[in-house]
Amino acid sequence: MTVASITDTVLSSHSPTPLFDPSNALIRKLEGFNPLSDADRAVLQRISANAHLIGPRVDLVREGDPPDGVILIMEGLACRQKHRANGARQITAYLVPGDACDLDVALLARMDHTITTLSACRVVRIPFDVVRRLMDEHPAIARSLRLGTLVDEATLREWLVNVGCRSAIERIAHLFCELLVRLQVVGCASENSYEFPVTQLDLADTVGLSNVHVNRSLQELRRQGVIELKGRTLTILDRQRLKSIAEFDSKYLHLGSRAAA
Amino acid sequence: MIMKLQPVQVATGSSDRESRLVFEDGLLVAVLVQLSSEHDSEAGHWFLEAGFGRVDDPHAPIFADLDEAQAWIARQLSETRPVG
Repeated sequence: MTVASITDTVLSSHSPTPLFDPSNALIRKLEGFNPLSDADRAVLQRISANAHLIGPRVDLVREGDPPDGVILIMEGLACRQKHRANGARQITAYLVPGDACDLDVALLARMDHTITTLSACRVVRIPFDVVRRLMDEHPAIARSLRLGTLVDEATLREWLVNVGCRSAIERIAHLFCELLVRLQVVGCASENSYEFPVTQLDLADTVGLSNVHVNRSLQELRRQGVIELKGRTLTILDRQRLKSIAEFDSKYLHLGSRAAA
Repeated sequence: MIMKLQPVQVATGSSDRESRLVFEDGLLVAVLVQLSSEHDSEAGHWFLEAGFGRVDDPHAPIFADLDEAQAWIARQLSETRPVG
């Protein structure tokens, strides 16, 4: 099948019955920003179908590579990261289910960062022409995707505040609060708990701290009865206290009425 | 280069307390803290809590003992790289 015919199949408005999965993370995320029609949902369902299972710690695209489609995470946790020549690493974003790399990445000749899976992920690579037609032909989806991009930028600003202005324990508390809200939106967190498949070293590289400081902060949050980390499950035992430590305010996620946490 | 270690207790906000101030030629260059049992396999090892001037390194290794820590600090101090 040629690229054009794949595109036609994916975006055809004369498709059969618009079936869509209510647990589809992409639909849940985009629908939260903006009402979508059944036809919109059906298109998103088709685009996000056939996600490939990729193991943990696999680079989906590397800094310096020419971009190859818009990467969409449907399950699991991935990250954007930058490496220094001395091996030091900074994780600059987490991609949770429903999140994609930059929509306009096609405009770039080379990637300026690496996208890597942190856990096993289900990943879709959407061809650029499909993304283009999606933006042109489905205004509601386009609006939601643009809002998603604004939220990505707002989140990056919040992370910059985190590493620049918050103490060790505040940084970690803030990240835990943010992930609870983001994962709840796409149905991947309960009221106070979610899978957190991130090693202590990943966490250190996320919040710009040493492994020792991360460990101390986690122990302190446990001692205060604020969190519990069992295996890969993070449970927030005292949400108000965690929010208060982090001074967390979910406004930057622009969730409107969905901001439950 | 004369390096001196002075035992001290540091309030790290954790159970890591046993520490050493590290002086070189009378000037404080580093604070080393011994990791407590909360750090599992690294318990008993030494962490560069703070390094000053050339000893400042956010990605310093964890040291198995004080000799290793002193050797690393001495190397940092002898490196001819611009400071600040």
